[in-house]
Amino acid sequence: MTTRSLAVLSAGLSVPSSTRVLADRLAAATARALAERGVEVETHHVELRELAHDVTNSVLTGFPTGGLREAVNRVVGADGLIAVTPIFTASYSGLFKSFVDVLEPGALTGKPVLLGATAGSARHSLAVDHAMRPLFAHLRTLTVPTAVFAASEDWDNSTDERSLLHRIDRAAAEFAGLLDRSAPASGTGELDDFVPFDQLIARG
Amino acid sequence: MPSILVLSGSPSATSRTAALAEHLALRLRERDHRVRTIRVRELPPAALLSGDTRDPAVAEVVEAVAAADGVVVASPVYKAAYSGLLKSLLDLLPQFALAGKAVLPVVTGGSPAHVLAVDYALRPVLSALGAHHVVQGWFVLDSHIVAVGDAVELAEGARRPLYEVVDGFSDVLHARRPLIDAS
Repeated sequence: MTTRSLAVLSAGLSVPSSTRVLADRLAAATARALAERGVEVETHHVELRELAHDVTNSVLTGFPTGGLREAVNRVVGADGLIAVTPIFTASYSGLFKSFVDVLEPGALTGKPVLLGATAGSARHSLAVDHAMRPLFAHLRTLTVPTAVFAASEDWDNSTDERSLLHRIDRAAAEFAGLLDRSAPASGTGELDDFVPFDQLIARG
Repeated sequence: MPSILVLSGSPSATSRTAALAEHLALRLRERDHRVRTIRVRELPPAALLSGDTRDPAVAEVVEAVAAADGVVVASPVYKAAYSGLLKSLLDLLPQFALAGKAVLPVVTGGSPAHVLAVDYALRPVLSALGAHHVVQGWFVLDSHIVAVGDAVELAEGARRPLYEVVDGFSDVLHARRPLIDAS
């Protein structure tokens, strides 16, 4: 059975966080969709709230420190990324953007990414497509066509065609398709899994 | 005398954006405005990123925004948009913090390829904060911001279009003032 690694980035500020809940549901739905394709998933969560201090330091100094360094390596090294932010003032949060600001140019190029966002009402649903999607276009990721926006009123467990659960499953199915077809990520952002060229050739 | 608050959102200690913000503040003072500049990087980082508006320094900035007639919002381009640091401050303002205010968006960057960051990234955020009037913004190339001692000058050719925008912002504020006084 093949395995794909998944980084799940969530930028919620509160505890408990609906942003984290959406991230978890997207990750679970993706794991189910991949299992149907005979692919196993190894999931790593990156909770930015816990890293806020390191994020600030690195924004001000330009170098990822502490837990943030590990988080960046997780995100950069994963085969796929689920990125979920709360929507403030019609866009991604400052914490979410600060994390993206820390990434090296080209760090996410070609990576399959599933976008999610949460907000108190449906009024800013378009923020996913007018703010988040262009950001990931700049990062040159393979962004899943369906992004999932969850307003407070969406958490009602309804299962009709427009429901949150349905949208999560649709997005996860698209994401699984991208992950299944794409090659695994080439590294973790570090050189710890570097394979010398002679060994690569020996593998055929 | 219409008051103006200039927010500069570069995380860098030696920021062209911040130097440009000071330069624009001088220009606006010459045009009969009371101007204050704030660098977001000087606010307590923990309070900023956790959205803690009880922090005294953060609360004071929130009050300063509320008290200003006009706000200049300046940011470098990072990843084709405003900086996360600037957004952290905007996130903790009240929902309609810019209601009734004129706002001037200014963005600096290394390449003209990102000029649209002014209107496609920053402007919608300012609108969402309820700004009454987001005037024509401007994108300034890093290479056009030239250090002269502690201050900066603008390269020949970059000066006129930027000053037109800044003076237009000033005119809007002066024109609005009598209406506000009369009410």
